[in-house]
Amino acid sequence: MRHQRREFLKLMGVGGAFTLLPLNIARAASTPAIEDRAVYISASAGDADDFYVSAFNASGKILFEQALPGRGHDIGLRPNHVDVAAVERRPGLYGLILDRHTGDVRAKLHCPEDRRFYGHAIYSNDGRFLYITENDFDHARGVVSVWDAEDGYRRVAEFDSFGTGPHELHLMPGGEQLVIANGGLHTHPDFDGRTALNIDSMEPNLSIIDRHTGKLIHQASLKHDWHQLSIRHLDVAANGTIAAGFQYQGEINDQVPLVGVWQPGKEIRPIEAPDNVQYRMRQYCGSVRFDASGQVFGISCPRGGLVTFWDAKTNDFLTHIAAPDGCGLAATDRPGEFVGTSGLGNGWRMDAIRRKRVELPDDSHKSLHWDNHLRRITA
Amino acid sequence: MPLSSSWRITLLSTAAALAVSFTSQNAQADIPDENYRPALDHLLTKVMPPKLDDFHDATGDLTKSITDFCASPDADDLKDVQEDFHNAMDIWQEIQPWRMGPLVAKGRDQHIEYWPDKHGTAARQFRKLLFSKPASYTDPVQLAEASAALQGFPALEEVLFDDSNIDHLTKGDEDGVFLCQYGTAIATNLQTITGELRDEWPEFAEAMATAGPDSMDYPTAKFAATDLYRALHEGLLIISTQKLGRPLGENEKDAKASRAESEVSKRSLRNVAHNLTGLLAIYDGKWGDVGTEGAGLASLIDSSLLDRSFRLNWQTVTDAVLERPESIDTLLAQSDGYQSLVDLKSQIDFLITLVENDIGGTTQLGGGFNALDGD
Repeated sequence: MRHQRREFLKLMGVGGAFTLLPLNIARAASTPAIEDRAVYISASAGDADDFYVSAFNASGKILFEQALPGRGHDIGLRPNHVDVAAVERRPGLYGLILDRHTGDVRAKLHCPEDRRFYGHAIYSNDGRFLYITENDFDHARGVVSVWDAEDGYRRVAEFDSFGTGPHELHLMPGGEQLVIANGGLHTHPDFDGRTALNIDSMEPNLSIIDRHTGKLIHQASLKHDWHQLSIRHLDVAANGTIAAGFQYQGEINDQVPLVGVWQPGKEIRPIEAPDNVQYRMRQYCGSVRFDASGQVFGISCPRGGLVTFWDAKTNDFLTHIAAPDGCGLAATDRPGEFVGTSGLGNGWRMDAIRRKRVELPDDSHKSLHWDNHLRRITA
Repeated sequence: MPLSSSWRITLLSTAAALAVSFTSQNAQADIPDENYRPALDHLLTKVMPPKLDDFHDATGDLTKSITDFCASPDADDLKDVQEDFHNAMDIWQEIQPWRMGPLVAKGRDQHIEYWPDKHGTAARQFRKLLFSKPASYTDPVQLAEASAALQGFPALEEVLFDDSNIDHLTKGDEDGVFLCQYGTAIATNLQTITGELRDEWPEFAEAMATAGPDSMDYPTAKFAATDLYRALHEGLLIISTQKLGRPLGENEKDAKASRAESEVSKRSLRNVAHNLTGLLAIYDGKWGDVGTEGAGLASLIDSSLLDRSFRLNWQTVTDAVLERPESIDTLLAQSDGYQSLVDLKSQIDFLITLVENDIGGTTQLGGGFNALDGD
């Protein structure tokens, strides 16, 4: 592990003493510079079943809290626009379009009666269409719904997700294709909408579809022995590499990979951390994010209270940083640096290269439980 | 009174008492982080190290007895080797649930005991091994690089307890000679692994016990203590779902003792009894003649009623295990054996509920917002 990190530091040009580091890396894990006016936005919760979309600045100061009718999950950001989409976590019924500066509600989305939202949404690069993963529960089929933001967020189409239990989705580079993590879990509102009904037969996959036609372009699954690895979260690097985090539905002491890297057209490559880190991941990955350089990706493991970091070029494990109940991850504009949030209320700046973790200095964000995902809005 | 009725009454009456105490702890303020430190220090630096010494000594005794036996194979001496196997296995089963640090590093827990073996890998590889008798498997150094399924307790159990192998061992025929050399290599390898475990533990324990904001591994004592709570919780889950659940199968017709742990040596429930000893030590702080009563996670429980109730329930379940035969195969052969095993699993499941709701809640180690209900 140490050897891998040393090699990685060389590649990143971080081989010498701290004082010789490039300025932007030397600043990492220190108090954010004044010019860093990025805003971070996430679903959150209070202590009394009260749920919000909340935003804070780079220091952790809360900027707004917008109450939600139920627990949120991820936030979709509309490019070059004030809109952000907050979709209720599974089995979700509502979606709200909010003003990213104030949290004000700009539009409401209603899930059809025979569908349930699954918490994730993504906009097309031109900002016109919003894509949301949904469950067609009567047919145990995942779908991606399409909403026209320029027509009052009218639901205009629905595509097959080519799997069951679709969860996170992203645009591929170029913006014409969507990659979908089909978790493989069939749920039904008659059984609370969250309990998995097909653990023995689940078949997760990663699928890429054309966002205009819904046509399947690529698909990959793990080998059958690992069919209980629910592929739930992913991120896409600028070069098209997809990093995915798994949630294992089998036994707590089974030895299974929890991270995969996929180059579309090839097999998913499962990768593992050293044993003493792997077991602390507790069979569960919560979110996945590439850094600004695309050379590092972070995967949070809230059950183990860890964020793991991986070299995107070699697929080697780099390091891990403890983050109690940490799940939300967003890349800052600095290589190897992330902001992470916790269900216990913490917010940290984490540097995967120098293995540093610093609490965000403003305590106002500590009043909330930060939910699964965190997004960064560039100033 | 039938056993199943009596334990239900005991456990349920205790549960009612616990409900009262749990209600009162909801309003409890956050436990100061420093309060977790004494339990951490006690369990990791005072309780566990002597047990790792014992484990290493036990594998040393096992190595010596099998070496002595192989010099002059004899049925009585084989019994001594089997006894030393049981002694080493007893202490391993107490340590096994402490799944953390050096115990899981480098696949050590799997190298010590490759189980559960869902695909029958060990048996398949063992048959091939006995057929081809490769010399590399009689060298402990080379064995350490071999498949985990062929280098720990389950493989040694096959050597020492399988009827056919016992026959070869005591006759000292060609198979017996290979089995002797292979068994000695396994025991020697186990002695090496347990030595590494003992040697690496102090550094790990120090990192946990001195948790603080500068640590990238354990930023708070509470976070470090969470790993001990998880060991307690997951240890019970593994007993329920795997050690008992696997042999139980879907129903009585599907039950199969061979899916249980250590059934070749007929000790699957003896393993559970020793697991419970090691797990209770996490809560109590006393483990046999080591440690201090009340200095484990129990030191974080400020309700004597909850503490007494939990201990009573634990003792009830321990007694239930000890009242049954050591082997699930023997138990299932009894007319009410299946139901007896079902009842035992229910009792373990009840303990899991107590750990989740009461111990996890009162110690505030039960998990956070995302850990408990993420998506």
